Amino acid sequence: MKNRLIQAYKQAPWRVQLQWIGLFLLGLVTIASVAGIYLNISARTSTIGRNIQQMEAQSEQIERNIADMQTTLAMITSAAVMQKRAEEMGFVPAEPGNEVYVTVPSYYGRQPAVLAPPPGPGMVNPPLVQPSYTESLWDWLFQGVAKAAQMQGKVLP
Amino acid sequence: MKAIFTRTNFLGMLFTVVGVLVIVQIGRIQTSATAEEFRKQAQQYIGEYKKIYPERGSIYDRWGHLLAGNETVYEVGVNLQYVQDPQTIAAAVSSVTGADFAQTLASASIPYVEGKSEYARLADSVTAEQIDQLSRLQQQYASQSANKRGKGKEAPSLSGLVWSPHLRRSYPEGTLASNVIGFYTYLDREGGRGFYGVEEKYNDLLSGTPQEVWVPNDPNLVQQIPEVPPGASLILTIDREIQSSVEQILDKAVKDTGSSSGTIIVSDPRTGEILAMATTPHLDPNQYWTYDQLFPNSTPFNRAISQTYEPGSVFKVLTMAAALDTNTVTPDTPFLDTGSFEIGGFYIHNWDGAAWGPQNMVGCMQHSLNVCLAWVASQLGPTKFYDYLRAFGIGHKTGIDLAGEVDYPLRLPGDGQWFPVDLGTNSFGQGVAVTPIQMVMAAGALANDGKMMAPHILRAMIQDGRQYNTPPQVVGTPISAQTAHTETAMLTQSLVEESSSALVPGYSVAGKTGTAEIPTETGYTSSLTNASFVGWGPSDNPRFLVYVWLEKPETSKWGSVVAAPVFSDVVKRLVVLMDIPPDDLRKQLASN
Repeated sequence: MKNRLIQAYKQAPWRVQLQWIGLFLLGLVTIASVAGIYLNISARTSTIGRNIQQMEAQSEQIERNIADMQTTLAMITSAAVMQKRAEEMGFVPAEPGNEVYVTVPSYYGRQPAVLAPPPGPGMVNPPLVQPSYTESLWDWLFQGVAKAAQMQGKVLP
Repeated sequence: MKAIFTRTNFLGMLFTVVGVLVIVQIGRIQTSATAEEFRKQAQQYIGEYKKIYPERGSIYDRWGHLLAGNETVYEVGVNLQYVQDPQTIAAAVSSVTGADFAQTLASASIPYVEGKSEYARLADSVTAEQIDQLSRLQQQYASQSANKRGKGKEAPSLSGLVWSPHLRRSYPEGTLASNVIGFYTYLDREGGRGFYGVEEKYNDLLSGTPQEVWVPNDPNLVQQIPEVPPGASLILTIDREIQSSVEQILDKAVKDTGSSSGTIIVSDPRTGEILAMATTPHLDPNQYWTYDQLFPNSTPFNRAISQTYEPGSVFKVLTMAAALDTNTVTPDTPFLDTGSFEIGGFYIHNWDGAAWGPQNMVGCMQHSLNVCLAWVASQLGPTKFYDYLRAFGIGHKTGIDLAGEVDYPLRLPGDGQWFPVDLGTNSFGQGVAVTPIQMVMAAGALANDGKMMAPHILRAMIQDGRQYNTPPQVVGTPISAQTAHTETAMLTQSLVEESSSALVPGYSVAGKTGTAEIPTETGYTSSLTNASFVGWGPSDNPRFLVYVWLEKPETSKWGSVVAAPVFSDVVKRLVVLMDIPPDDLRKQLASN
C-alpha cells in the first residue's frame, strides 16, 4: 500500500531532471540578466565618463583659444598698428580747430568699458556632472529605494 | 560499481582544481610582500594629482582695450622611457626652437628610471608654429622609420618627444604704458610673479589661487574637476590713445631737448583718475629680461612715482594757494621787488638776479619771482605754510595703487634739520623734494574746487564674473573753492600776459613753469636743472591736469622754454581725444 502511494505521487525521473535543469537555467538567466544590466550600465557610464573627460579637455582648450584670440585681436588692433594703418591710408591726426562739434540730444559721450555685470545676488552654478554618472549601482538602488520610501511617506498620512 | 574516474568526472575535477588554484593565487597575490607595491603601481594609473594654475587676469584700459592678456605656448619635453634617438631629438628641438643643442641633448639623454626620471623638459614658451614644425618632423621620421623597418637600417626617430600647451603672459601693446603695467616673469612657471606697476601691486588678485585636484584616468571614477576661477581682471583708468600720444610727445621732447629722462602725467582732477603716465625709458614687458640693460644703477622703473626731485617754481602754486586761502594776500596785493629778500640770515634772489620793481601777485607768478614768493611765505609764517604743505600731501606718499611709490620727508620747524631760510627756499620749490605724482595730487585741488582727489590707476575689477568699480576718493580739502578759482584765474591770466608757449589757441589753460637747480654734494653748483610745467584746463571747468618734467635738458635749462611747449603739445592732443570743444563753442553749446 505504502509503495503504491509513493509510486502514485512520485514524479517520473525525467520530470525531476527537467525541474533541476529548469532551476539551473533560471539561476543562469537571472545571473546573466544582472550581469548584462551591470555590464550595460558600466559600459554606458564609462563611455559617458570618457566623454566628460574629453569635454573637460575641450573646455580647457577652448578657454586657451579664447585667451589666444583676444590677445591676437589686441595685437592686430594695437595703438601702434592702428596708427600705422591710418597713416598708410592717408589719415593724419586731427588738430584742435579741425573738428566739427554737433549736439546730439541724450548722448552723454563715450562711456568707459563695462566688461561684466555689476555685483548682484550670488549665483551658484549647478554641478556639471550629474551624480547618476558617478554613483555605484548600490548607491543608485539604495537611493532609489530611499526616494520611493520618501514618496510613499508623503502620500500616506 | 560505477566507475569513479569517468571522463566527465575527470574534467570536472580538473576545472575545480584550476579554479581553486586561481582563487588561491588571487589570495596569495593580495597578501604577498609585493602586494603593496602592486597597489601603488595601480594607483599611478587610476589618476593623478594635478596642480591647476588659474589663468592670470587680464588688464584693460578704460575703454576695454587689452593691455595685458595671455596666449597659448607649449612646453616641449621627452618621455624618457620611449626615447630612442636623443641626437635627433636634440637637433630637431634646437633647430626649431633655438634651444641650446648641448643642453637639449643632455636632457634627452637622461636614462629612464621608473618613478625618478621619467620626463625631461627641453624647451618652454614654444609657439604654435614651432610645434607645427616639430609635428611635421615627427610624422616624417615616423614614416621613414616604418619604411626602413625590417631592412636592418637605423632610421632617425623623434620617439618620446611630447609637448603640452599652457597659457603665457602677453602684452599686445608692447612698450605702451609698460611703466604703469609692470611685467610678469612668465619664464618662471612655478614662481612667476608681477614686478612693478599694476602687475606687482595687484599680483595676488591677478594670479588667483592655484588648486591641486585629483584627476582620475578611470572613466568610471570620473568626477567634475573643480572649476578654478581665473585671476581677477583689471580695468585701468589709462586711456590707450592718450597714453600713446603722450609717450610719443615725451620721447620727441626728451630727444629734442637732450634731456636725460622725462615724465608726463595726465590726470582727471575731478576724480583723480590717471589718464596717462609716461616716463622714460620704456621696457617691452614681453622681453622683461632686458630690464637690467634698460634700467642700470637703480634707475627708477617709473619716475612718476619712484623718483623724488626738487620741483622748483611749479611749487609756487601751493605757496600762493596757502597765502590766498588764509587771506594773507590777494591777487592785487602789491609787492616791490628789489631783487633780494633776506630770510633766516640768507638772501633770496630771483632766477635772473634782477629786481622786477612794483608787482602784484599775478605778476609775481607770471614772472616767477622767488623774492616775492619768499616774502609771501614769510608773511604766511612757518606754521601755516607747513600746515598747508602737509594738507596738500607733501612729505607723504599719495597711496597711488602702483608698486614702488616713494616719498621724501618734509623738513619741518623743530626737526633739527630745518632752518629759517628753508621757509624762503621751500616757497619756490627748492630744499623740498617731491615725486611728480605728489605734485599732480596737490595741484589737483586747484583744478577741482579745492578738493584733492586720491590719484589712482584702477578703475574697476572683474572677479567671479562681476565688475566692481572703484569710486573716486577725496583725500582732503586743503583750500576753499574760492581760492582754487582765484588762483586758476591768476595763472590763466599770467600765461596769457606772458604769451607763454604753453598756450593752446582757443582754449584757456592755467599753469606754472618750474626750473629747479639740482643739488650736488657741494650745494647748488651744477648748471643742470629740472624743467617742469604743471597746468590744467579748460580754466573755467578743468577736465585735465598735465604735469611735465624733463630732467637735465641740454638745449635750454628753463622750464618755460623746454617744458611749456610740451604741455601745449599734450593739451592739443588731449582736447581732440577727450572731445573738448574750444571755449567759445563750449560756452555756446552750454547756453543752448
